[in-house]
Amino acid sequence: MALLTQQQALSLERKFDIIIIVAAFTGTVAGYHIHQMLTVGDWDFWLDWKDRRWWVTLTPILLITFPAATQYFMWEKMRLPIGATFCVMTLHFGQWMNRVFNFYYWAWFPVNFTTPGLMIPSAIFLDVMLMMTGSYMFTALFGGMGWSLLFYPANWTWLAPFHLAVKHPSGPLMSIADLMGMEYVRSATPEYIRIVERGTLRTFGRDVTPVSSFFAGFISGIVYLWWCWMGKVIAKPVWLSRT
Amino acid sequence: MAQYKTEAAVVKRAESAEKMFGWGTFFKCQIAISIFYVMIRIYQQYFSWSKGLDFFSEDFRVYWWNMLIGELIIEAAVLTFTLGYIWKTRDRNLDKITPEEELRRFWGLGQWIVTFAWAVYWGASFFTEQDGTWHQTVIRDTDFTPSHIIEFYLSYPIYIIIGINAYMWARTRIPLFASGHSLPFMLTVGGPAMIFVNVALNEWGHTFWIMEELFVAPLHWGFVTLGWCLFGVYGVAAAMCPRIFELLKITSDGKAAQFAPTVGPYAPGVSKLSA
Repeated sequence: MALLTQQQALSLERKFDIIIIVAAFTGTVAGYHIHQMLTVGDWDFWLDWKDRRWWVTLTPILLITFPAATQYFMWEKMRLPIGATFCVMTLHFGQWMNRVFNFYYWAWFPVNFTTPGLMIPSAIFLDVMLMMTGSYMFTALFGGMGWSLLFYPANWTWLAPFHLAVKHPSGPLMSIADLMGMEYVRSATPEYIRIVERGTLRTFGRDVTPVSSFFAGFISGIVYLWWCWMGKVIAKPVWLSRT
Repeated sequence: MAQYKTEAAVVKRAESAEKMFGWGTFFKCQIAISIFYVMIRIYQQYFSWSKGLDFFSEDFRVYWWNMLIGELIIEAAVLTFTLGYIWKTRDRNLDKITPEEELRRFWGLGQWIVTFAWAVYWGASFFTEQDGTWHQTVIRDTDFTPSHIIEFYLSYPIYIIIGINAYMWARTRIPLFASGHSLPFMLTVGGPAMIFVNVALNEWGHTFWIMEELFVAPLHWGFVTLGWCLFGVYGVAAAMCPRIFELLKITSDGKAAQFAPTVGPYAPGVSKLSA
């Protein structure tokens, strides 16, 4: 007599699905989050690092990596067009767990001073692009561009109030974000290592952000293809036989 | 009477399947890890700022240094014992196990992998970014701080122990993994394990160059590269799933269950899209 009925086999298949989803979620949180925090973390940790140039340029380029690989796996193996959104949700879980329970409850930085950048609209766009075109090349070209161009507008609604000007009692005029950065002292992160607004891109006048986003979109497309390949290679069930 | 016997057999079969593929171990493992780390986090809350700021103080020795020594000894002992146990109790007749038993072992491996992934989350995500919380607000004094003693020397070894045990468990109990080394599985376990080794480079660099805590500094990129290996968890799923489907077919009354969806891009007649 067989162990399982048809119904039980289907039920067990669902159980294995749950196991794989949970392992993929937590494993991706760990891998994607450590990648994120050590490549663009400083811009993501602090409100006064979220500038119009470096944050906008580096974040989309470096964060399209795991979403591209996950998209490749989920689309190839399961025809699920949710890889990027799934991946970004894992990242936001990891970020928020830390910002609340460590940055706030341990070091007492205000949560709005350490709020992570929002990537969900960009991820949905990337997934929809793959679903609509079914092509990695088109997703790289147009999805990568949209992923990057949507990043700043998606964050603008919550970020804008902190860019209002305020006059410090000691004299200088600064943004609220910079004022918070001054008041909440980070002794091992002195002002001179803050990487914001550098370079001569100001020659474009006020258009620093769109130019940076556009450049990031170009590079994001290239990184997207690179990471589709990474997803293919790393997740390939290769076996090494005994020597 | 015949009908009664048939019903009894079905009930017995259902009970057996429930017992073999239950969620008990799954929840016990994840809850145990979570409770343990919540307690560790509470310990940090009470004793990191009050007793952990001065490496040379007596308080530091009592509350943090002793903890470091204790956890390293326990971790080495646990790894030795568990690996020895898994090896000692290995299945020497892997070619003779029934499909039901093989399926049950895949269920066990799934729980090993979830437990490993959950432990890696705590180590590589929660406590690693927490280290930023500490270092960017407290000037780096020595290699051993209340955040490092938890992150590098507790949470990393714990996921390494679970990962190595998971790999060893699969190698000694599941024919698929006994026949060869799964590269994605090795990457999934080995990459995060090497993050622990990379700590040596990290600490060497920080003390040599007396660096400020810029999290995106190139010195940290070794952690990044090794973290990429965690994507191998998808490859482990890709390696396991075909065999699990086969076993489900074999063990379910000899008939194929509805494995392939009848709608969507995989439905008959729909071609596969590609670049």
